[in-house]
Amino acid sequence: MERYLTATYALTKAYLIRFFRDKTAMFFTFLFPLLFLFVFGSLNSGGGDVSFNIAMINKSDSSFSEQFATQLRENDVFDVTSDTQDFEVAREAMGRSEIDSIIILPEGFGELNDRQQPSGSVEVYYSEAAPQSGQTIAAVMEGALEGINRELGQPEAPLTVAQKSTATSNLSNFDYVFAGLLGFSILSLGIFGLANQMPAEKKTGSFRRLRASPIRKSQLIFANMIYYLFIGVLSVALMFAVATWMFDFDMRGDWFNLVVFIILGIVTMFGFGLAIGGWAKNENQSAALTNIVAFPMMFLSGVFFPRFLMPEWLQGITAYLPLSPIIDGLRMIMTEAKTLLDLGPELLVIGGWLVLIYAIAIRIFRWE
Amino acid sequence: MHHKQFAFILKSNKQVPEIPPFPGGIFCIQCELMKNIITVKNLTKKYSGKTTVDGVSFSVKEGEVFGILGPNGAGKTTTLEMIEALRPIDGGSVKLDGLDVAKDPNEVKKIIGIQLQSTAFFDKLSLREQLELFDGLYDETTDPNTLLEYVQLTDKSKSYVEQLSGGQKQRFSIAAALVNKPRVLFLDEPTTGLDPQARRNLWDLITNIKKQGITVVLTTHYMDEAELLCDRIAIMDNGKIITIDTPKNLIKALIKRGFTKPQVVEQANLEDVFIDLTGKDLRE
Repeated sequence: MERYLTATYALTKAYLIRFFRDKTAMFFTFLFPLLFLFVFGSLNSGGGDVSFNIAMINKSDSSFSEQFATQLRENDVFDVTSDTQDFEVAREAMGRSEIDSIIILPEGFGELNDRQQPSGSVEVYYSEAAPQSGQTIAAVMEGALEGINRELGQPEAPLTVAQKSTATSNLSNFDYVFAGLLGFSILSLGIFGLANQMPAEKKTGSFRRLRASPIRKSQLIFANMIYYLFIGVLSVALMFAVATWMFDFDMRGDWFNLVVFIILGIVTMFGFGLAIGGWAKNENQSAALTNIVAFPMMFLSGVFFPRFLMPEWLQGITAYLPLSPIIDGLRMIMTEAKTLLDLGPELLVIGGWLVLIYAIAIRIFRWE
Repeated sequence: MHHKQFAFILKSNKQVPEIPPFPGGIFCIQCELMKNIITVKNLTKKYSGKTTVDGVSFSVKEGEVFGILGPNGAGKTTTLEMIEALRPIDGGSVKLDGLDVAKDPNEVKKIIGIQLQSTAFFDKLSLREQLELFDGLYDETTDPNTLLEYVQLTDKSKSYVEQLSGGQKQRFSIAAALVNKPRVLFLDEPTTGLDPQARRNLWDLITNIKKQGITVVLTTHYMDEAELLCDRIAIMDNGKIITIDTPKNLIKALIKRGFTKPQVVEQANLEDVFIDLTGKDLRE
């Protein structure tokens, strides 16, 4: 046993030393995800605070409507950048992406209903080209109205938003983006990293050299796993640092739960990389297979756009992709303060993939 | 092999005595007394229907330098790799120091050292770090410095393998194969592609390793090398061993069969000229 650990440790150490001397590998592991974070983070948060440029058209002359409009102007989340009261003008501005959304307080909005309470429906218009903004604005608006409704003590909400959003309210776009980018980082590290590395080592013969020593397959796998966990956790920690520092990322959940969940995610994705890299005889084989495995996850698991924007039937299917529960789980821990105990369905899907992929990976592993 | 012994190696390496022209003749009497450390019986390897190693049998005596010669594709490397537990054995058996290679590959790997045909090491690791890695893999504590000194690479301990010359790579490869103080050292074409100086240097090293009592099994395409280094030689072709004997006996037997070649008594050949003009000093 001690011999087993000595050899595993020696190999892990060798991998880590090599990694920190490899500038290209460092770039792709640490800086590349950060670049994505800068680009997508800036796109989705408008720097610092989450805020949206809107046009507000108040067609109602009720005093409630007037107050509501004033509050909206003072709200940090919304920047009322267009003073036009003409819907067509506003629509053109939105077409030029000058504004993210048009909010209309329709005629009669805020007038008292038969229970002597202000009622009505806020209309949120958003560009089809940027559904994300619209969904989020609708969600935020709904949240605001809910507050008023609660104050009014109404069992039935008299104030509603016309654009129904399927998104959970009080989530900023950055929360979705960040969870997705974390997922992307975990995916690319586990799959692309190992799937490239192992065939290359088979080609140069360093695998053969290792195999000439009394090392076991499991030692090679554990050494690589520890190595990838180390750089993976480091890379994710960097992303958290940047997210907190540059994009005011607000961690609402428990760090311990998050770290355990991230490790689980890295180990799962490592299994896919191991299966591909361990099986492939050369880089051509692994490149093709990597694309087949990684691309569906990249586009259907919520990396670049949230899965809630997909049609219901597609959401149902993509929920079973191995990366989906990882991204969903990350977001739920970070923004909804969920714990691992709340993530039963996600952990079930991840666990299923974990068992399956390691069973396959160990079976199809080839030394050369 | 303990550190003290390594110290002894180092000393003797610096003053390698002239190697007798036909060591086979001298050692052969001793050979008969030595026990077999490797026994190969009916070893067979098939690749998609084609038999690359075809029922090969031979034994290697403890302490000897055993050469396997043969044209490309004769099955030399495959034979070696089956003995080294690097390739599954399709038929027959290999016993190494009493261990069945097919049943106990990991135990076998603990007592052998392998220098592979393509010198394959991790990049971006210094020679010292590579040897530390191998120390860890074998759970040994052999001092990397001692090994590097033994193969005259002390000043390269911080270099990467990819920065070494061909001869240095081969020497380092041998150093790495000695980490676990092996009973048997396997060398697959150790001098291929080296300049005459580096070849001579490697011959000295191999002779010295033999002196430590380590059995050496090597393959080569150079007949002068085989004649000089090997106590016994097996000649392979088409997956079969054609003959096994000492180099001297093989030559004698050929002459006995009436072989003659034009008698040209040369006092020197071109290689002698080359070495005379450029010296024996190692260049790298």
